[in-house]
This record gives sequence, structure tokens and C-alpha cells, in this order.
Amino acid sequence: MKTLIRVFKHEINDPRYFQIIFLGSFLLFGISYLDWDANVLTYSVFIATALITQVLFAFFTTKNYASIKSGMITALGLCLLLKTGELWVASLGAFVAISSKYILRLRGKHIFNPANIGIIVSILLTNQAWISPGQWGSSMLLWFFIGAAGLMMLLKVSRLDTTIAFFLTFGLLLFIRSVVYLGWEPEVWWHQMSNGTLLLFAFFMITDPMTIPNHAKARIIWSIGLAITLFVASSFFYIQTAAIWILFFISPFTPLFDQFFQQKKYEWNTLNK
Amino acid sequence: MKKIILSMMAICSIGQLAKAFCGFYVAKAGAELYNHKSEVILVRDGDQTFITMSNDFEGDVKDFAMVVPIPNVISRKDIQIADRSIFSKLDAYSAPRLVEYYDDNPCIIDFEENFINEAGGMQTRMLNPLTAMTSGITHQVKIEAKYNVEEYEILILSAKKSSGLKNWLLENDYKIPAKAEKVLEPYIKSGLKFFVVKVDLNKYNSEANDGFLRPLQIKVKTDKFMLPIRLGMANSVGEQDMIVYAFSKKGRVECSNYRTVKMPTGNNIPTFIKPKFGSFYKDVFKKKHKKEGKDVVFLEYAWNVTPSWSGMKCDPCVGNPPKQKEFIMAGVPWYENTTSQTYFTRLHVRYSLKNFPEDLFFIETPNKEHYQARYVIRHPAKGDLSCDRGVEYLEALRKRRMEELNSIASLANWDIRKYPDYVESGKIKSVVNESENKENILPFIFKDNNGGNRRYQPLMVVTFILLSVYLLNAFVRRLRSAK
Repeated sequence: MKTLIRVFKHEINDPRYFQIIFLGSFLLFGISYLDWDANVLTYSVFIATALITQVLFAFFTTKNYASIKSGMITALGLCLLLKTGELWVASLGAFVAISSKYILRLRGKHIFNPANIGIIVSILLTNQAWISPGQWGSSMLLWFFIGAAGLMMLLKVSRLDTTIAFFLTFGLLLFIRSVVYLGWEPEVWWHQMSNGTLLLFAFFMITDPMTIPNHAKARIIWSIGLAITLFVASSFFYIQTAAIWILFFISPFTPLFDQFFQQKKYEWNTLNK
Repeated sequence: MKKIILSMMAICSIGQLAKAFCGFYVAKAGAELYNHKSEVILVRDGDQTFITMSNDFEGDVKDFAMVVPIPNVISRKDIQIADRSIFSKLDAYSAPRLVEYYDDNPCIIDFEENFINEAGGMQTRMLNPLTAMTSGITHQVKIEAKYNVEEYEILILSAKKSSGLKNWLLENDYKIPAKAEKVLEPYIKSGLKFFVVKVDLNKYNSEANDGFLRPLQIKVKTDKFMLPIRLGMANSVGEQDMIVYAFSKKGRVECSNYRTVKMPTGNNIPTFIKPKFGSFYKDVFKKKHKKEGKDVVFLEYAWNVTPSWSGMKCDPCVGNPPKQKEFIMAGVPWYENTTSQTYFTRLHVRYSLKNFPEDLFFIETPNKEHYQARYVIRHPAKGDLSCDRGVEYLEALRKRRMEELNSIASLANWDIRKYPDYVESGKIKSVVNESENKENILPFIFKDNNGGNRRYQPLMVVTFILLSVYLLNAFVRRLRSAK
């Protein structure tokens, strides 16, 4: 009994539980209130494949089964973002996402955000996968909802700097171009800034401590670079799904940042944060 | 004499759907401009977009003019006149439909399939997506090209400043709405040109096309797959409707900067709706539009229309599915390529200045799922129903009819107390109460004050609770560590 309590007290500090609850509630919210299709079968395939792959890899490598929590987060991220009508594509996406964590590693960290690479590979290899940039719509209340959840998460893992640097840079560039130069009303800028997909990306995808640079300064530079690239891609090249592609291409640079800005790698659920 | 531009909304008050157009109308000398909804065909092929704009203009053709922002100067071969009938064909094919079924009499053993598919499509009207403005060319406005395309005189203009374009229009006695100049500026700054059309009266044949103007079809090469609706809102005072018929080789087309939401489908509705389906669907749309926050695009139809695909192109079929002939009329460039797939999407958007700050941007997805807005009425069985199975059937029929009444209450806010005889029982009151109660579980939270925001309220409560718990926890821990 005492062991259970001890384990419970230890586990409760793990921010990943919060992330699972948040992502799960985003999914429920989307299905109940935003009229998303409730593709229960597809979601089940994402979750089952991700968890099985995670357990198998853990068994053959680190034997750290706590990583199943990360697997669940990846699975929920895929449920939220990756759209497909084919179950095998869902399975492929989840499998690639999880296995990339073990196969594509450098200096003890995996290079790619697992959900991100799962999405990219599914889209590239099959013709049956896509993302819907408009699935959330735009609303100030999304800031409240996704933003509050994101804030809680990021305070726990001390990774708020990425999101802040991203929003400040991207928001400023977009404002200067849209409102100051082109002359659109500020509502246009606000509509773009309160897009749910952008918020989810900024609060939950570019904040994965395992795939962003370790050092705070490096993270800020990395984030600013990401924001500038996204601004250029979306405003001048009109790539509507630019965010996930840019994150994919910028991820291999993370080890470079870690080389120049030395800092200890993040550990889930330790006492020193 | 200054020619006045009349507000679309002031003129278009025929009822039916709210009028909409993708630009603003300019009327000469106070002419009555009568237009209805706008319809646009969008074909996307790589980085090319073919746009066909319907025109329901019914006034004097010498008063007609149209302006559309386009990404670059287009050549003569990129402009065509389209056949008006393509719009009614696509509308008939993809409009929300009503089907009816006839129940079999369970007491008759040998029954035949009384299955009649009859669909009344929702008449969609097209709004003129383009606003018309034309006048002489002056300084700061350069005529990039000038074409005579049968009965149309077309100019491609570029301007350095919106005031220049405004002056150009004013010099030709067109008073543009005060808001229009502001809207023109971002288009000009983005480097867009303006496609300006008027009718050449010498070439116009009023007998052809029943006095209607023929639609124009243009091809533009651009990475921006979008429709510039902001210009159309410049002189309107309310909501405008637009139907988009989209063709793609990849799959369903959806909006990328606003939510794309499916209209309700598959609902059983009462038999008395049959002659009133049009007004019923209008109310369904109105309620759904309000419920979703008035800032979404609605999907009404999505289907694989590849000619070589052997599957059913519609179920039921209201109008015939588009074939090669219709592809050609719609401007689909790959119609000869038998290996290309073709997917058709019908989107319906009711937009207003307040709820749609951005132009509509679209994205092609490989989503091949079929979808249609379809409503079902079931006629009860006839004849002697006194056998055991007949009695069971009648009980099930009563329940079904109650559900049908609930449907129209929840879908369209119709007052079902007007139809007390429909279920043949005194259960109407409880039906009304049930449907009212469903929407008012926690009235102080779910109060429908602003339509769309209602859906976020429970989440705000949950998030607030979570935040409070977290902050309390952090505070307590801090206190403990301070000790």
C-alpha cells in the first residue's frame, strides 16, 4: 500500500498525464462541439498501434515502460491532426511516429517530434493522408482553452520560452505585413493568430522537450527561426500546411544547437526541473 | 449626374436565401439591380484555378459592370464565356435533397418494393461573385490589357493606389461605397490586378439566354487557391450567400482558414414537409449557421464524379451527375485524360463583414469520402393493419412520427405544436417539453446568448476549474517549502 502511494505521488508529478488529459479533452471537444467526424475506429488504430509499438521497442531496448505515456501523447496528437480514410495509413503513421524515436536518434535524443514525422511520412508515402488547417476555426476562446492548457503544461516542463518566442516573432511579422503594410484590418490579423491549428502547433508541438534544443537560448533562436520561416512560407508562398513541414525540416538542426549550446537533456518526471 | 451604387441588400429582398456576391455592385443612374445569391465554379489543377462566375443580373444590361481582383494579368485565351446551364445542372446534381419511402404493409405477406425516389432539390441561386465597376481610365491606373470577348468588354487594370482606382471609377460617374477604397488597398498592395467587365451593347443579343447575361470563366495561375469575398462585402449591410462548386483531381475541397462543417443529413422528417422542403431547408441552414457561430463554411455535397468510375455518382440522383460535357462547360482542363480522377464538392457559405474578416482560402485534400445533405420522409403503410405485426408496426410508427417531429424542432426550430394530429396522440406536449429540456440542461451556463460562443462555455468552466486546482496546488506547495 505504501509503495502504491509512493508510486502515485511520484507519478502525479509527471506532466505527461496532464498532456494526455488535455489532448484527450481537445479531441472530445472537437467531436462534440466542432462537428468533427468521430472516427472511433481510426482513433483506436492510432492508439493501439502507437502503444504496441512503444511497448515492443521498450522491451527490446531500454525496458523503460513509463515511455508508454509518451506513446499515448503521440497517438492523441495523431488523432487530432492526421486525417485519413484508411486504417492502414493510420497504423503506418503511428508506427513511423513511435519507431522514429528509437531509430532516428543523435546524442541520446530523438531528432523528430514523433507525431510530426508520423504525419509527414503518411502524407508523403500514401495519397490517403492529410491535415485540415481549418478544423478548429479561429476564436479568442481557443486561446483561452488551448492557451490555458498549454500554459499549464509548459510551466510544468519549463518550456514556455519556445512558445513565447514563436508567437512574438510570428505575430509581429504577420502584423507588420498584414496590417501595417497591406492595410488589412486588425481583425484579419487576429483571425489568423487565433487559428486553432496554429495554437495547437505552438503550444503542443514545438514544445516537446525531447525534440527541441536543451539550452534556453538555443530554443529561443530555434523558435525565432521557425517563426520567420513559417511567416515567409505562409505569407509569400501560400503554403497552408507549412507549419508541420517546417518543423520537420528544422528538427535535424536541433542536435546542432545542442552541440553549440551545451545543456543537460530534459528528463521526464525528475525532481530537478 | 452621379450614378449611385445601390446596396445589394436594399434591392435583393425577394426573401429566399440572403443575397451574396463576391464583389460590390455598381449601378448606373440608380438602376434597379436585382440579384440573388452568387454561384461560383472553382476548378483547381496544380497551380491553376478556373473560376466561372454566374450572373443573375436582371436589370438593364448597360448598367451592368463587374470587378474581380485577380493575381496577375491574364491573356485573352484565359477568358471564356460559359454556358449558363452549367450552374443549374450542378445545382440540380448536388443540392440538398428530400427522398421519400413508402412503408410496406406488414400484414401483406407478398409485398413489392414500394420505393420511390423523389427528390426536391434546394434551389440555389447564384449571387454574382463579382462586383462591377467600370469607368474610364485615368492616371495611376494602368490598363494592362483590353479584350472584347463576344458581348463583353473586358479591361485588366492595375493600380498603384486605391485612391487612384477610386478616382478612375469616380470619373466615370460611379460613386463607390466609402468602405470599398479601404478594401481595395490590400489587394493593390498585394500586387493584384482588377478584372473589369461591362457589356458591349452592340454585340449583346438579348434574345439569347432569356435576357440573362452569360457567365464568364477565367483561368488564373496562382499559388493562392482562394476567393476574394471581402470586396463583395464592401457595400452590403448584412449576410450574403454563396455556393461554390469545386472540382479537384485529388479529393474533397475544403476551406482552410474557416471551419468546414457538414450540414445535418439522414434525418427522418415528417411527411408534411414535402411541399415545404425549400423553406424547411432554409430554416435548417439558418439555425445551423447560427449555432456554429456564423463563421463557418458548410459542406452540402462531396462525391467522386470520375466518368470512368463505375460506382453510383449520386444516391438518390436529383439531377444527372456531371459528365465530360459538363466538365468542359465548367472549365475542367483534364476532361480528356481518362486516368484522371475528378472529385466534386459543393460548399455553401453565408458570410458577413463581421464574421468573415479574411477572404476564403481553400485546400484540396485526398478525402474521397462521399457526403450529401439528404432528408427522408416515410409514408405510412396503407391498408388493413389489424394483424399482430400491424399493431406492432403502428406503435413503432407512432414513435417514429414523434421522432420526426422532434427532428424538425431541433433542426429548424419549427413549432411542432402546429401539427397536433401528426402523431395521433396526446403526446405532443411531452414531445415539446423533451425537446426544450434537452437544450436547457444548465440554463445559466447554456444560455444561448450569442449562438456560437455557447459551445465554448462548458469548456471555459472546465478549464477554469483545472487552472484553479493547479494554482491552488502550486500555492500550497510553495507554502510548504517556505516552512
